[in-house]
Amino acid sequence: MAEQAPGVRIGGLTVVYKTPAGELPAVRDVSLTLEPGSITGIVGESGSGKSTLALSLLNAVQPPGRISAGSVEIDGLGNVAALKGEELRKARGRHIGYVFQAAQNSLNPLKTVGKQLLDLGRSHGVEDLRGLVRDAKELLGRMGLDGARVLDSHQHELSGGMRQRVGIMLALVLNAHLVVLDEPTTALDMITQANILKIVREVHAERGLTTLVITHDIGVVAEVADRLAVMYGGRLVEQGPTREVLGSPSHPYTKGLINAIPRLVGDIDEARALPGRPPTLATVPKQGCVFRERCALRMDVCDTVDPEAVAHGPRIVACHAVTVKEHA
Amino acid sequence: MITGTGIVKTFKQRGNVLAGREVRALRGVDFAIPKGGAASFIGESGCGKTTLGRIIAGLESYDEGEVVIDGTAMSGLKPKQRQPHFRKIQMIHQDPYSALNPTRTVHQTLFAPLSLRAKQTGRSKGWIEERAAEVLSLVGLDPGSVLARYPHQLSGGMRQRVVIARALTVDPEMLVADEAVSMIDVSLRLGILALLKDLRERLGVSVLFITHDVATARYIGDDGELYVIYRGQVVERGAVDTVIADPVHPYTQSLLSAIPVLHGLERPGEQPVVPLSSLDATGDDTGCLFASRCPFRGERCDERPLLQVSEGFPQEHACFYPERRSVIARPLSEV
Repeated sequence: MAEQAPGVRIGGLTVVYKTPAGELPAVRDVSLTLEPGSITGIVGESGSGKSTLALSLLNAVQPPGRISAGSVEIDGLGNVAALKGEELRKARGRHIGYVFQAAQNSLNPLKTVGKQLLDLGRSHGVEDLRGLVRDAKELLGRMGLDGARVLDSHQHELSGGMRQRVGIMLALVLNAHLVVLDEPTTALDMITQANILKIVREVHAERGLTTLVITHDIGVVAEVADRLAVMYGGRLVEQGPTREVLGSPSHPYTKGLINAIPRLVGDIDEARALPGRPPTLATVPKQGCVFRERCALRMDVCDTVDPEAVAHGPRIVACHAVTVKEHA
Repeated sequence: MITGTGIVKTFKQRGNVLAGREVRALRGVDFAIPKGGAASFIGESGCGKTTLGRIIAGLESYDEGEVVIDGTAMSGLKPKQRQPHFRKIQMIHQDPYSALNPTRTVHQTLFAPLSLRAKQTGRSKGWIEERAAEVLSLVGLDPGSVLARYPHQLSGGMRQRVVIARALTVDPEMLVADEAVSMIDVSLRLGILALLKDLRERLGVSVLFITHDVATARYIGDDGELYVIYRGQVVERGAVDTVIADPVHPYTQSLLSAIPVLHGLERPGEQPVVPLSSLDATGDDTGCLFASRCPFRGERCDERPLLQVSEGFPQEHACFYPERRSVIARPLSEV
């Protein structure tokens, strides 16, 4: 694989989970392109399918879940959704780095960070383990930590922000150029969060990465991402350049989400809660628009026909009301 | 009215290599929350804000100082005598998933405190059922559909509402909400905040909000007070909007500077403050607690500044070199 930022093309991806009520889609017919060298942010609430989508990039959806349709094309790797066994194991870590949600708890409490680093190296057949340790120290140093000390530490000796940086180091140390960060700053303080986001931006630029950030926090995406994609009920409802989407959201859900953020200045009562609540796997409507129950623009067609994702310039929106307005 | 003066709390580490080492959680904190009022404690994790909240709710002891509830000092009382006073203060925890007993229906959860209440006040069993329905309606739930349900059958937002309903069964005068919305879905958060605000307005319950999210603090009580806590000391205290719009302590300014900017909707503040290093809670205990991280450190900072008012600033602050800085993001629409 080339030593440069790969592009990623997710096409018509559907991921289903087997439940007593049959196979239910957690991600349904999602198409998303990550341009080489870009940072894309996916925003969604719990149950929106954002983490399942991220795992699909590694083809790591665990049973009872499976990818039932679509493809994930990564430059240099081909269709990851079709990879199996040893090939797949090698792609993970080596080409795709993944920083797990709650990195605070994803380290082995019984081993020092250094031992876990060596495990990682051996499992990927790294011959120059000294070089690996050197790279790890350099990366940690780059993120403002004392590399030697951190490698000698167990996870309980590190603060939340330090563990998160260790997670980023482990994702990057094998020289992956595609990095997925799942909720990178959840449970961190404001100041630590700002530090981590700064590190994500800088490391992204310095190492020439393609980065995907998954979060429930629009603020996080606003700080780091070039492009923003909004998920709801397993569907991608809107995507486009971050500033454009935040400045003039099209989809009623995106609008509602932005309106629900309390601000620091201005009339505090302008912030409005969205009515209703997000659907779960079991309550997602089988047909029609997934957002219609909470939507102020609901029309008859929304009950029966799932809105297609339609491109309006760089913006892609899946909403009947928006499509009608654009064509009027 | 609940007040505290000079609250000191020190935790001693036990049972490991650090045994005997002391952690100064609170270093002489004063507070006053009027009846029906609102106050917010903000700061990083480990700053002592949760410990202070737990002391106010009677869940934690303190080493020095005095908590006074409606004119009665708590330190002279025996635990049994304190109980009716602390009953007026109810805590809402961060995690609604672990705050409810998974083996009990909503009805059972509310029945226990209500039947005790009925016994104390000599009311009938019918009153319990009526009151259960009433508190559920107060928190915006439909009693008919939730009473028979178990916690796992409810969403996070609904669970947090049940937790609040349970707190209301004992007719509290104050709710202490510790990060009460941080685990709730974004589109539902505002609903819970609006509920707390609504309870303040309708029932006259005062609300103490503990958070690291400054903007939510504003939503609960824009007429209330904001306490910025750093390493066990209140470093800035004043009206919510004053402290947010015109902070004077460099620590408050760092906290506000760290809030993500919604590019496309907002432009960043002109004078963001970035601390020189990350928090070291075990660091230097002499002088100003923030001095080692402060970009504006001066000669006097080897002394410990006390919370005080100084000329030209409406809020109290603990800094020898107070200065207004424009740190928060402003809406693009505002020119």
